[in-house]
Amino acid sequence: MQKIPLSSVTSDMILARDIFRGNMPVGMPVCNKGTQLTDDLIKRLENLDILSVYVEGCPVQEEGNNSLDIHLRELDGRFIKTFREPLNAILYNTYKAYLIRSMGGNSGRQTE
Amino acid sequence: MADKRSDLKKSIMDTKTLPTLPSVIRKLNSLSDNEKSSVQEMAKIVSSDQVLSARILRLANSPSYGFYRVSTITNAMILLGVNVVKSLAIASSIFAAMEKDNVCLWEHSLGVGVAANLIARKLGLPECEEIATAGLLHDIGKVIIRIKCSTAENDILGLIHTRQIYTLEAEREVIDTDHAEVGAWLSKSWFLPEKLGEPIAFHHDVAKSENYRTKTAVVHIADVLIKASGFGNSGDNFVPPIQQIAWDTLQLNEQLLAELVEEIEDKLIEVKTFCLEMMSD
Ligand SMILES: [Fe+2]
Ligand SMILES: [Fe+2]
Repeated sequence: MQKIPLSSVTSDMILARDIFRGNMPVGMPVCNKGTQLTDDLIKRLENLDILSVYVEGCPVQEEGNNSLDIHLRELDGRFIKTFREPLNAILYNTYKAYLIRSMGGNSGRQTE
Repeated sequence: MADKRSDLKKSIMDTKTLPTLPSVIRKLNSLSDNEKSSVQEMAKIVSSDQVLSARILRLANSPSYGFYRVSTITNAMILLGVNVVKSLAIASSIFAAMEKDNVCLWEHSLGVGVAANLIARKLGLPECEEIATAGLLHDIGKVIIRIKCSTAENDILGLIHTRQIYTLEAEREVIDTDHAEVGAWLSKSWFLPEKLGEPIAFHHDVAKSENYRTKTAVVHIADVLIKASGFGNSGDNFVPPIQQIAWDTLQLNEQLLAELVEEIEDKLIEVKTFCLEMMSD
């Protein structure tokens, strides 16, 4: 299973999780898992402002690292004013290590 | 320009336009000096306001405290202390307005409450619940600025965006004061105990906190950690500098920090769920 942005979704991919309106589990269900995506369906999801979906397998290659990259870049952004201060540098490195451990530890993982 | 700023400051600091304190709190304030009044008696007063009681209990069961289920006001007073329940009553009436329309600041506040509690526990400090409450309330000045002068708030957010500066700097430029000062003034007007008032007043300048420096230091560090994690949003997106005096007061080190980050991130998942639940009802 892989979470990918809707823009990378192509027809033939299979949903690995239900999709809810407003992307919230409290919203109305839009589409069940197991559904094979079609161009029509993708358009409908776009209209519903769905930003990302879970699909089966690992169709988009770099994605696993990608989301880690995004998190690390956001972390850099938050520390842009203070990463040179010694105490903040410690915190920055702590957070960086935490992110890598919690989401990137599988960077060498093979496609399932 | 300077005139406009001081006018804004005056209007924000005007007690006459302060949101009204629930009458229950006024009753409690007059009671609590009286040593004889029992927890049961105070609980009875609070329970007479059902809406307020429900809100208090919801906050008492938020992840900031969430180590037990609290189902009655009497239990809340025994488990969390009268001060905490009083502060929760105040918090819930102020936050009532913003739960739904400023979810990001609400998330930030809950996050800091959670982080403050975890830090206090990890360091074995007394009065963890009070510290968690101070964390929950630390940016209350921002809510007041928003309630009293939403145009000033817009100008502040605009400045943060265009000049990429800290909220505190933008506030000083626009209203000649900042949310810490407004919060301090608010906690005095509403007779919050000093051990909550000091962390609210000095969470951006720990050195000025004299009587409750440890509590203030915890809230400062909790705020920095939540900013670092990117959870919620309190105006700007910049991690403020960790103040050496806070670090030293709490005798932090790299190992402790790493453990705290892990525990806080774990707990934040619960906070997120709690916020979603609150929004959905
Ligand atoms: Fe603050
Ligand atoms: Fe804050």
